[in-house]
Amino acid sequence: MKSRTSWVRPLLAIAVAAVFCLPLYVALVNVFKPSTDVVASPLALPAPPALDNIEHVLSRPDGLFWYGLANSVILTTLTILITTVLAAMSAYHLVRSGRWWSRAVLGVMLAGLMIPPAVIILPITRILDAVGLMHTMPGAVLVDVGYYLPFAVFVFMGFVRSVPRELEEAAAVDGAGRFRTFWQVVFPLLRPASASVLIFLGVWVWNDFLTPLLVLGPGAGNTVTVGIFRSIGPYQQDFGAVFAFMLLATLPVLVFYLALQKHFVRGLTGGATKG
Amino acid sequence: MGKRTNGVATATALGLVALAGCAVGGGDEGGDGSGGEVTLSLLTFETPNLTAEYWDDIIARTNAEVPGVKIKKLVAPSAEQRNEYVRQLDSTGALPDIMVAIDPAGLAEAGKLTEFSEKELADWVSPTANSFDGEIYQLPTNSQTWQVYYRKADFEKAGISTPPKRWDDLLAAVDKLKAAGITPFVIGGGAPDGLGPRWTFAQLMADEVYAKDPKWLDKLVAGKTDFSDPLFVNAVTKMEALANKDNVDNLSATYAQAQDDFLAGKGAMYPMGSWFPAAPDKAQQKQIGVFPMPTQDGSLVLPVYTGGGLSVSDRAADVARAKKWAIEFSKLNADGGARYDGLFVALKGYKPPAGLPPLYNATLDVYDEAQSSGTVTPSFGNEAGIPALPSGFISKADAALNDLLNGRADPDQFVTTLNEELEELSQ
Amino acid sequence: MTNSVRSRTGTDTAGERSRPGPPHRTPTPSGRTGGPGGHRSRTWSSAGAFAVFVLPTLTLFTAMVLAPILWTLYTGMTDERATRPETSFVALDNYGFLLGDEEFRHSMWNTVVITVIVVLLTNLLGLAIALLLRRQGRLYSLLRGVFFTPVILSAVVVSVIGRSILADDGLLNSTLVSMGVASPPGWLTDPSYAIYSVSGIMVWQMLGFAVVVYLAGLAGIPAELEEAASLDGAGPWQQFRAITWPMLASALTINTVMLMISTFKVYDQIAVLTNGGPGTNGTATVAFEVIRTAFSEQRPGLASAMAGIMLVVVAAASVTTLKLLQRREVDL
Repeated sequence: MKSRTSWVRPLLAIAVAAVFCLPLYVALVNVFKPSTDVVASPLALPAPPALDNIEHVLSRPDGLFWYGLANSVILTTLTILITTVLAAMSAYHLVRSGRWWSRAVLGVMLAGLMIPPAVIILPITRILDAVGLMHTMPGAVLVDVGYYLPFAVFVFMGFVRSVPRELEEAAAVDGAGRFRTFWQVVFPLLRPASASVLIFLGVWVWNDFLTPLLVLGPGAGNTVTVGIFRSIGPYQQDFGAVFAFMLLATLPVLVFYLALQKHFVRGLTGGATKG
Repeated sequence: MGKRTNGVATATALGLVALAGCAVGGGDEGGDGSGGEVTLSLLTFETPNLTAEYWDDIIARTNAEVPGVKIKKLVAPSAEQRNEYVRQLDSTGALPDIMVAIDPAGLAEAGKLTEFSEKELADWVSPTANSFDGEIYQLPTNSQTWQVYYRKADFEKAGISTPPKRWDDLLAAVDKLKAAGITPFVIGGGAPDGLGPRWTFAQLMADEVYAKDPKWLDKLVAGKTDFSDPLFVNAVTKMEALANKDNVDNLSATYAQAQDDFLAGKGAMYPMGSWFPAAPDKAQQKQIGVFPMPTQDGSLVLPVYTGGGLSVSDRAADVARAKKWAIEFSKLNADGGARYDGLFVALKGYKPPAGLPPLYNATLDVYDEAQSSGTVTPSFGNEAGIPALPSGFISKADAALNDLLNGRADPDQFVTTLNEELEELSQ
Repeated sequence: MTNSVRSRTGTDTAGERSRPGPPHRTPTPSGRTGGPGGHRSRTWSSAGAFAVFVLPTLTLFTAMVLAPILWTLYTGMTDERATRPETSFVALDNYGFLLGDEEFRHSMWNTVVITVIVVLLTNLLGLAIALLLRRQGRLYSLLRGVFFTPVILSAVVVSVIGRSILADDGLLNSTLVSMGVASPPGWLTDPSYAIYSVSGIMVWQMLGFAVVVYLAGLAGIPAELEEAASLDGAGPWQQFRAITWPMLASALTINTVMLMISTFKVYDQIAVLTNGGPGTNGTATVAFEVIRTAFSEQRPGLASAMAGIMLVVVAAASVTTLKLLQRREVDL
């Protein structure tokens, strides 16, 4: 009986996945077609593939793609590195100290997990303006770090609990200070947590739209994700060029994700395996 | 060892801070005003006609005339949403120094824009067209009118020999077109831009409201009347009769798509602004004609807007030079504006260059005729200066019009919605 | 931003488990709980350590999240607007106004509709696909990757793809026209379709997340349980009802809460797909309304009051749902 139906599942799975993939397919094949073909036969394979759309994006006179790429790389790198370091340190201290106020701080930060950005973005622009960091890269980094810290602290919290105290005590006996103990003993043990945080934040910060749109503003140049929005324009019917822009804007984060994929899915699914 | 770790950490931190300093800009990196040089930000927008290259060229030519100014070009994410965008920038403390064609309402009253003096405006035909209590915050560089473009072949096929002049003629023409199997109208207005229906409605309002009572807006804003005024309701009733689902090709078309649809022959008439003639190609220019929106008694009434030029921020890095730059830009841009944006240049003694599209000249003829022997009125939603509809009202009115035409609201509900929005926004 | 909380909830619970610690070292009980131990007073009392380890985080969090929330709550009780120099304190007037305001209620309703559709449909489809992909082998791990791809994409990218397909002259309609449909609907511009199109696009993007969470849940079900049920003569449906579904309780909790939180704050998709239209508030969500009122209409007072309501609703809804589902987990 099993053998009779064994082909049904893979076939059905492939069929469902194919339907699901259709939008991705449409976006991808049309990158390599001239605009006239996009409208005429959107589903056809590009034969022969044309690289005009890609070239067009890369050589835009306003440099929208390249400026955006540079800004995205800077913003994402700084945000994820700073957030990871700060969150690891504070999660370590708060969990280990175990005082009532530590638990209070943790509780408040965890509540920060569900704050929608729309609720706080207006005051944030005022605060940045007051300290002269509005429309600057450091300002945007501070906003992102502040916003994503609760998440990162939360991830580190559970991992810190799993670090044996004996190791720290041994280091302390050897005369290492707290700071050194943390960096040389604890932080390396938190590597899986650091990886999760880096990947999650990398993807989110890269893909973020509202915060860079408002906080980076037009003067400082903007990220590549905001650049996509700019490159559409309501008049724009030239989907090929927009798809090319999106592909190029997505490639870095896609590569980043694939390189660290294992940690991502592991971190993502941790809770569900408990059941 | 511990010191070394700390040292490395500090060095890394410093490195990060240094890296954070360098956001990569989208424009020219400017000087700081030393040596008599100043960098000014300019907010533009791009359309198929007004491309990045077009702006770069006119900016370079203006810079040549105004020494010591460097321009940092900013581009609004979309042409239609540039008014929203400039307010968004202002809210985040980044009002650009110079802005192209933004609605000054709200910004002007809040003192965010600088005013132009009579002397600075001396070269323009109607310097006071855009007055906020006597102050001018936007250069009155050009005029725009609203009228109906039509496909000559469709009219012929339906047996309409001359364009309609009276309201009843128009209704008859609509019936003839339908009888001949031709969709009477193309009017856009779908999301996300919401543009289109108002440019039809403004033409009906010109006759029903503004021609009968030129001070109607003053009364409205002063609270002496509201949208349930019979004059306004007449215009709404006409709008519903004219542009309901049965008469329009595709009410949910976006602005860009509606234009394509009309050019592709999907409907006979296209009520649109005078910038439209820049769109048809050479062959299409010959297939399309223009007539003013028919009026109840057949007289010529044309809604007109004059303004649309540059504005300068009150907090520009160098207000005087920013104004000088804006004025110089407007003069240099005259020919380009006429050719690529279909603008009627409002400079004294200006003669449009030769070789402009025939439809541009035909539309200009209608405007000239209206000025000499007809009635010129404000255009709803594009009334300039004070009294002004509250900031944000027009996008709500656009959305409400969309509901009216789609049958989601009847005229009563439409009027009620507008009254509520007006009350809320004027609080 | 939509991405952020989505997976956040998933990993929240990842923190709970101690597995990914150092290899081959079992955590000590005191380390496991992190609770107060005898060492505490010796090691963790100095203010210096607090200043180094916690203060930077606390400062940033306070400056970028806590203070802004308080600021929003205060501003919501003023009538601040950009076009008027003087601002006065109006206590709860804005809130009263908003509760009676058709437009705001409409945006609330839109948000609820989108949230309900996304939560139900994503859970349902996610579970179905997870059951379908619940096999080992290259094909299945490849397909898992396929379904997960949209999760990594930016909401802007997904929305642009959605728009290119669903626009009036988009790829779907041009296909329909070539198949002989005379006037295909305006998926994004017709008020009766737009909100469902927007929801559909969001379901498409988030589906992969739900699939992965359900797959992980399925992987945690001991094979013996299902085999035993099968031997007892239970059919596939009974087996699913009795064993599989109850065992997926925590996966359901994670998916529901994270879908709720990320749908409730949806802004990017609306901005790209419809700009709030068609017509009056066809698809405007609360988050979209807050941003539009604050930045485009320049009325910080009213916008902040909206944000205040949003904050309360988000908190209440997610805590309630979490509690309900967790109680259900215990009951099961």
